[in-house]
Amino acid sequence: MRMMVVFEKGETLRYIGHLDLMRAMQRALRRSGLPIRYSNGFNPHIRLSFAAPLSVGVVGLRELMEVPLEDGVSEQAFQDGMNAVLPGCLRIRQCRALADGFPALMSLAAGSRYLIRFPSNAESDRAAAGFEAFMALEHYTAARRTKSGENPCDIRPFVTGGTLQKTGEGWEIALETVATAAGSLKPSLWLECLRTFTQAGEFPHIIYRTAILARKPDGTLVPMEEV
Amino acid sequence: MTYDFDALLGRVEKPGRYTGGEMNAEVKPIAQADISFAFCFPDTYEVAMSHLGMKILYGILNSLPYAVCERVSMPWVDMLSELRKNHIPLCSLESHTPLSRFDIIGFTLQYEMSYTNVLEMMDLGGVPVLSAERGEDDPIVLAGGPCAFNPEPLHLFIDAFLIGDGEDSIVEVTDVLNACKKEGVPRAERLRRLAALRGVYVPGLYHDEYNADGTLKSLEPVDPCAPPRVLRSILTDFENAYVPTSPPVPYLQPVFDRIMLEIMRGCTRGCRFCQAGMLYRPVRERSVDKLVELARESVRNTGYEEISLSSLSSSDYSCISELAGRLTDALKDQRVSLSLPSLRVDKFVQDTLTHTQKVKKSSLTFAPEAGTQRLRDVINKNVTETDLVNTLTNAFSNGWNAVKLYFMTGLPTETDEDLIGIAELAKTAAGAYYSVPREKRVKGLRITCSASVFVPKPFTPFQWCRQDDPETVRRKQRLVREHFAPLKSAHFNYHDSGVSQIEACFALGDRRLARVLHRAWQLGCRLDGWTDQFRYDLWLQAFEECGLDIAFYAHRERALDELLPWDHIDAGIDKAFLKREYERAMRAQTTRDCREGCNGCGLQKLKGVCRACE
Ligand code: SF4
Repeated sequence: MRMMVVFEKGETLRYIGHLDLMRAMQRALRRSGLPIRYSNGFNPHIRLSFAAPLSVGVVGLRELMEVPLEDGVSEQAFQDGMNAVLPGCLRIRQCRALADGFPALMSLAAGSRYLIRFPSNAESDRAAAGFEAFMALEHYTAARRTKSGENPCDIRPFVTGGTLQKTGEGWEIALETVATAAGSLKPSLWLECLRTFTQAGEFPHIIYRTAILARKPDGTLVPMEEV
Repeated sequence: MTYDFDALLGRVEKPGRYTGGEMNAEVKPIAQADISFAFCFPDTYEVAMSHLGMKILYGILNSLPYAVCERVSMPWVDMLSELRKNHIPLCSLESHTPLSRFDIIGFTLQYEMSYTNVLEMMDLGGVPVLSAERGEDDPIVLAGGPCAFNPEPLHLFIDAFLIGDGEDSIVEVTDVLNACKKEGVPRAERLRRLAALRGVYVPGLYHDEYNADGTLKSLEPVDPCAPPRVLRSILTDFENAYVPTSPPVPYLQPVFDRIMLEIMRGCTRGCRFCQAGMLYRPVRERSVDKLVELARESVRNTGYEEISLSSLSSSDYSCISELAGRLTDALKDQRVSLSLPSLRVDKFVQDTLTHTQKVKKSSLTFAPEAGTQRLRDVINKNVTETDLVNTLTNAFSNGWNAVKLYFMTGLPTETDEDLIGIAELAKTAAGAYYSVPREKRVKGLRITCSASVFVPKPFTPFQWCRQDDPETVRRKQRLVREHFAPLKSAHFNYHDSGVSQIEACFALGDRRLARVLHRAWQLGCRLDGWTDQFRYDLWLQAFEECGLDIAFYAHRERALDELLPWDHIDAGIDKAFLKREYERAMRAQTTRDCREGCNGCGLQKLKGVCRACE
């Protein structure tokens, strides 16, 4: 069986890369004593996979992975077993046993929702002031780093929604992005574009991914765990 | 975490070095502890997290109900300059507490070239670098580890050194300091109380004088609390000593990313250049039953997928085959692999290959140390060419095709013949490979020979010897290189002599070197163990400004009756034994492994310490 696992990768760990996180999860699974299904072969290992890699520096509030297990593990047992052996900054939030034939989570990943928080200061206020105008643009070209180097790319098609809110300490932007044939957009690049467009200097901020999105048959985007 | 620190993290390489949050990292609230201890490792996070000693002491201190211990490691250069630029102090990984707010900070001294990091870390953490400038509210600064056996070059910076096995002594020291804190005992008195403990050396309570020729005249206590000689701490119940079975499991891959099971401590071989072999006497082993239990517990608590055996010479463990077999069985179900020491593969490799498929095929390493039998006899390295050939032939017919051989140049009595012998040995190794029938061996033979420059170390029979000067080192390296040129599948690596020279100075140095260290650090030396950071020019400048001569420290043969800067430290080994060994070395006479019979190194005089000689 496969378990779909919603977990939080906390603030402390936002600079831990994808492979390092993968190793940490594999070790937690071994600690948990849960009946894991190992791959066959010379070098047996735990074949877990993440639905969508999180860029370094971003906090993941509802990250997703799938874990192959021997049959018969209950969702509650999995969640409790893992939370008992994970450090406080990694938490399992929800689990769902997947039906046979449920597609690989990775193949369902269609987009992400982010929250960008920043305290108010001269620079960040300037960015906030230009937010609406930036969102209204139909195209915005930026140098985007891909495997084949830095390429100019229109980043606007990646963005399907964005709202700005005033908070106690400053501002909060909710951003929704989708993957396209050209790949996906890092929220940090989007923020950099906003700054360049509004001529704002650097300002402290923190980015959270609040959901990994999948498409329902009708085409609407929802958090993957709801599909 | 603050936005400030966060912004820094976004700008440095490998920010995961500074964020902590590992599984099993301590989460005791620091504010509620009676006494707080910052365990400082003067090298990068990845090196620190590979170090077994740190895991042991971290675990022990946190098991004390009244204490909390947190980790601090040396930031990399990018982070160093960010911290300085933004006036952010160096903080602990667990609770992000600045170094200056701890009651005790303790450094482990594994390598002389980390000394500037000790100064840099204190300074960044807001702790006065000079012991004499610390006030009542500043932390007590401790240091331990192998380099503490010659503490003098650090005497201006460290309040108290812990000499020998740290397990018990760190608890005693913490207890005493905790009591002092409660009673409000002033700093000077706290240090005097520490000086009364076994294995503790408080350098501020001693005074040094020199002869006209620059050699040491005396180094004696000036306070009744301080003993004339400080006897090292020795852990006697190794079987039941604390083992860190749930150490922090780092995210960022450390140098050794696995469980390190300490199967024994000490070594009986008596290699004459090896400081660890002398300092960690006597040999103490854990039972197979105990080790299997510890391995299981470690896997359960860490989830590591690999376990390796840790000791100075694991293949000498009395029941190594039984241990390998039983560990493999015990760990099979969890798919945990065991990596075995490669030395003396002949003893059990056949056996083990049937036990496990996971013996690493990639790297096979041996340390003949010297190119000829004569020189190996001088250094008492008990490896014969026949041993090596047999072992290699065995390994080559079992699927290995790459081997690394480690050597030293500049060993006492070395001649050109010994140097050429390094290339000859590489040829012999290749011969062993080609003696295996073509269909039984794996294609693509690779022999890598590395030679480091010999550094004489205190408490070894070679403590009186000189190191080659840089000119000689270069000539010798050239000679060996020439003899490697015609060899197709063998490659020769060697190290720059500058680092080894400074290392020798600080290994063998006296109190006056503390000023050189201080100056070199002020000039910008740090992370000297990293070749790309080492600034030989600044070190030379520091020596010059302090009016001290490198050659006096590194390239001078010492008289056997000279008072050495570490003679007031008692490692349990007799100076007479070291002299005897030195003289035998000069005659190329070997000394037996003391498992075969006691050689009277001095430990036999201490009650209940060395089992082998009773
Ligand atoms: S006392 Fe004898 S047996 Fe023990 S370590 Fe020394 S030489 Fe070896």
